[in-house]
Amino acid sequence: MLKWAATAAFVLAAVVAVPAQRQEVLVSAAASLAEVIENVGRAYEMRTGVRVVVNTGASNTLARQILAGAAADLFISADESQMDAVRSELVAGSRVNLLSNQLAIAVPADRPRSLKSARELAQSSFRRIAIGDPAAVPAGVYAKAYLEKLGVWEAMSARIIPSASVRAALAAVENGAADAAIVYRTDLTAAHRASLALAIPVADGPRIVYPAALIRGSRNRDAATRLLAWLQGADASRIFDAAGFPRAK
Amino acid sequence: MHTGRHAAEATEFELRFSLTQGSFTIAPDLAAAARAIALFGPSGSGKTSILEAIAGLRTPQRGRIAVHRRVLFDTETRTSVPVRDRHVGYVPQDVLLFPHLNVRKNITYGQGLRRNSDGQGRQDVDVPDLDDLLGLTPLMDRRVAGLSGGERQRVALARALYSGPDVLLLDEPLAAVDLARRRLVLDALIAIRDRLRIPLVYVTHSPDEARAIADYAIVLDEGKVVAAGAPEEVLGKEVGGRR
Amino acid sequence: MQSEILTIALFTTAAALAATVVMLPPGIALAWVLARYRFRGKAVVETLASLPLVMPPVATGLLLLWLVGRRGPVGRLLEPLGIEIVFTPAAVVLAMAIMGLPLLVRTARAGFEQVTRRYEQMAETLGARPWRVFRTVTLPLASRNILAGALLGFTRALGEFGATIVVAGSIPGRTRTLAVGIYTYTETGQDARAAALLVVSVALAFASVLIANRLAHVD
Repeated sequence: MLKWAATAAFVLAAVVAVPAQRQEVLVSAAASLAEVIENVGRAYEMRTGVRVVVNTGASNTLARQILAGAAADLFISADESQMDAVRSELVAGSRVNLLSNQLAIAVPADRPRSLKSARELAQSSFRRIAIGDPAAVPAGVYAKAYLEKLGVWEAMSARIIPSASVRAALAAVENGAADAAIVYRTDLTAAHRASLALAIPVADGPRIVYPAALIRGSRNRDAATRLLAWLQGADASRIFDAAGFPRAK
Repeated sequence: MHTGRHAAEATEFELRFSLTQGSFTIAPDLAAAARAIALFGPSGSGKTSILEAIAGLRTPQRGRIAVHRRVLFDTETRTSVPVRDRHVGYVPQDVLLFPHLNVRKNITYGQGLRRNSDGQGRQDVDVPDLDDLLGLTPLMDRRVAGLSGGERQRVALARALYSGPDVLLLDEPLAAVDLARRRLVLDALIAIRDRLRIPLVYVTHSPDEARAIADYAIVLDEGKVVAAGAPEEVLGKEVGGRR
Repeated sequence: MQSEILTIALFTTAAALAATVVMLPPGIALAWVLARYRFRGKAVVETLASLPLVMPPVATGLLLLWLVGRRGPVGRLLEPLGIEIVFTPAAVVLAMAIMGLPLLVRTARAGFEQVTRRYEQMAETLGARPWRVFRTVTLPLASRNILAGALLGFTRALGEFGATIVVAGSIPGRTRTLAVGIYTYTETGQDARAAALLVVSVALAFASVLIANRLAHVD
């Protein structure tokens, strides 16, 4: 019985470890982009026959994987600092600012309100405000930068709840643990129990950039290059816009 | 060297060693030729330890153990034959039948395993009527768990014999057998000694058993041999009352 | 969506089964050595074997990533052979096996410690060589504990998340397990999918505990 099991394990390991033969591009994409990249990828596959395989996760985890030599072909990060962290692994000159996003203030759907400015968050009715952890989460970094720019960060910092991710910040609002959250505009499109209180105007808000770049160790350099080019084109733009991700400027 | 009654069929035993365990030292100093040696003495006098030393389950600090001129242990030449190659058939007091095997599988466990020193397989013990001799045939497919004390003893004996040993080491084999059957098993042991020509080292504290089966007896007290010789002579002199 | 849920569920179960098979030989061997031998550095070995149990799973994942990534000590040896582990189902199996191993070792070790040495000695006196003793006496007598350990390892593998997501990523159809899927869908706002996977996870966990209990009683 032992011999059978050992053989099975060996065969299984051999089979699963063999790299795929078919043309495909492996994209490591930040979690907030995961769904839209998958949609874009399906459109690309229908058009060109090249499969787009998406690996998703927190940008810093994706960055670590790339630094350890993981076989991604394209990296789309949720902020510039994670892309900077992997600069040694990138194909020189391939980095582009692909997409942008917009910050938004979310409140519980059963207590909707409309705000004119983020400064209103300083009101006492907002006892707890959730944002992504500014030490690690890109959305949190942006949120803190914006509040600092408005000069209200110091006054509010005691009421800020740093969350493990921007989704967690949104969830805090959805279940009433927080009175407001600063998230991406795109996070609110599917949210049922949170509503938009204010979309931070792009001109006003921090510069949110999703950079994309080719990975040096990639085995599908040509296919990845073509995909990256297509992602910057008009067809892809339509899909991105529909999901709420404008082009980066 | 003392020789027993039936010198022609006797096996030479050399048990000269020193084994310290806990507070006292077991130091038999015996060289004898016999068909069966009885180890006699009160509990805790070291009889079981001597069997274990012969089997290789305990290692004396120094000394020499030889059976039938085959050296199993000798500190002077740094010899210590591994347990599996000592060719002993050991039946301890708690019998130790393998609980996960039935009677037949227990008995045949050791069959065909032994190798001679030249690496050749040994001839299987010719035991055409061993099963009948020990009354085991009806028990063969039984699980070990449901057996009586006497049945377990007999199965263990058969298991030891089927492995083709050069010597049988028996630790109080009749203790668990009910009185009615004791004669039966004793007769079987005598038959094993005579027909199968396998020498026995037999631990007991029954002088009757010792006299019935052994042609040489040693009396132990706290690890020391206090008397040795023919059972009839020696066992009248056992150390009385000491435990 | 249904077929996707089914695929993820089947993949997770298959990977957990494979991980259990993979962890058995080293787990049994390690449990045996720890149960029977005393040697210098034994405390170190014991600690290493328990590490995945006490370290945060993400930390274990990072360690594995470093080890088997293309740059790492093991990964760099495998790369010229065309074997890649990160981002493949093999990484999932690896993460699951590493996380389940300590549980198997602990349980199996207790099983071996319970097997009276004397049975093994008896087998030796009958002429059996060490491997035969292990195979015909020790292993059968410890089998119940080993089975329990394997089941523990399996259920741990089923629910494994932290190490998996780091070293295997979250790639639909390839490395997305139930646990990783729940996390990913929650993070990307696909709550309906996440909920469906949650239901399946609970059902699977329920089933494996039920089977484990059955096996523990029938033996």
